[in-house]
Amino acid sequence: MTIADACIHPYPEGDSSLRRMAVEAGELGFDSIVVPDGTPLIYSGVRVIPAVLIAEETVRAVSGQLRKRGNGQSLVMVNAGENGFNRAVLNLKGVHMLRNLHLTRKQSFNHVCARQAADRGVAIDLDLYPVIHAAGRTRQRVLVRFGELIRLYSRYRFPLTISSNARSVLDLRSVEEITLLCSLFGMEEDDVQAALTTVGGLLNPPGPVRVLP
Amino acid sequence: MKPLPPTLRTKKRYILVGIEPPGTGADQKDFYHAVADAVTSLFGDVRAAAISPAVISSGPDYVIIRCARGGEQDLRIALSTVTAAGDGRIVLRPRATSGTLHALRRRLPEERPDEPEQPAEVHFGGRVYIARRYQGQKVDLMEKGIKSQELLFLTQNDLEEL
Repeated sequence: MTIADACIHPYPEGDSSLRRMAVEAGELGFDSIVVPDGTPLIYSGVRVIPAVLIAEETVRAVSGQLRKRGNGQSLVMVNAGENGFNRAVLNLKGVHMLRNLHLTRKQSFNHVCARQAADRGVAIDLDLYPVIHAAGRTRQRVLVRFGELIRLYSRYRFPLTISSNARSVLDLRSVEEITLLCSLFGMEEDDVQAALTTVGGLLNPPGPVRVLP
Repeated sequence: MKPLPPTLRTKKRYILVGIEPPGTGADQKDFYHAVADAVTSLFGDVRAAAISPAVISSGPDYVIIRCARGGEQDLRIALSTVTAAGDGRIVLRPRATSGTLHALRRRLPEERPDEPEQPAEVHFGGRVYIARRYQGQKVDLMEKGIKSQELLFLTQNDLEEL
């Protein structure tokens, strides 16, 4: 079973090397980490899963990036936008994860998107960085948004992932700490465990059984 | 004055918390303010008063925090949101919870033996850093200087590749 932090940013984006992040993640209970623009690697027992991070504002641009950068070996993560954009992105082949939903408007991810995400097997990412680092109104808004997503999740059961978006080893949190933090917006322990293991199945989704001659 | 009978005393819980990176220079007062601010920011004044966090002991890489019984889970959540104490960036990692200080002190981290002598100065990206090695392969680099020193977290293998 793969227990993964769905997005971290090692040096030069952050202040910690990829190897150090892997060592720390292993000590905190993870066996995989997802790194945008990373290279596949296993260090200190922790598997580094490369990812492609697409931050575009139009579906056409996202399609272009998918063609250019999607290689089938990397997780493809797309930053969320308005409702129409999200619905179109959820229909694109090759997208594994929709992220940064807490930065979008309330109606950007509704029950239609939730059903689509569940049907297409696209994961919705919960970014814990603002829960840990923000305060006041900003954190309240994020908690409310995540609470709404969890309500939709309990109805439609689309895949969820949890990321720390850590730029330093000091931003990483253990599996236990993540479970406690997720309880702030009503996520059950079993759902947290399921969300942490989602990444392993995104690159190799279960397909129909084929009979080989 | 006659002491309060044990049955009437408020029940406490003690949490042993690891500090990373160790030896940040923050004192007990800094840790108290960091924890109290985190609890108040996350749960508000009413819940913070019920939890009553207090730092009762600290070392270079640990701190023991007391709270009211029933508040330990909320306190652990709040500890996950602590990102700085004093002037330094830190992370607090809860290690154990106990009903008595005696039981918790038995789980305190042992004094680490001194690491063998290593070259203290490292040149990286055109800057000079002081290397601090601990726990086997981990190496922390602190920029040499007086103010706003940059911290980098590497491994021994990273240093050898420089």
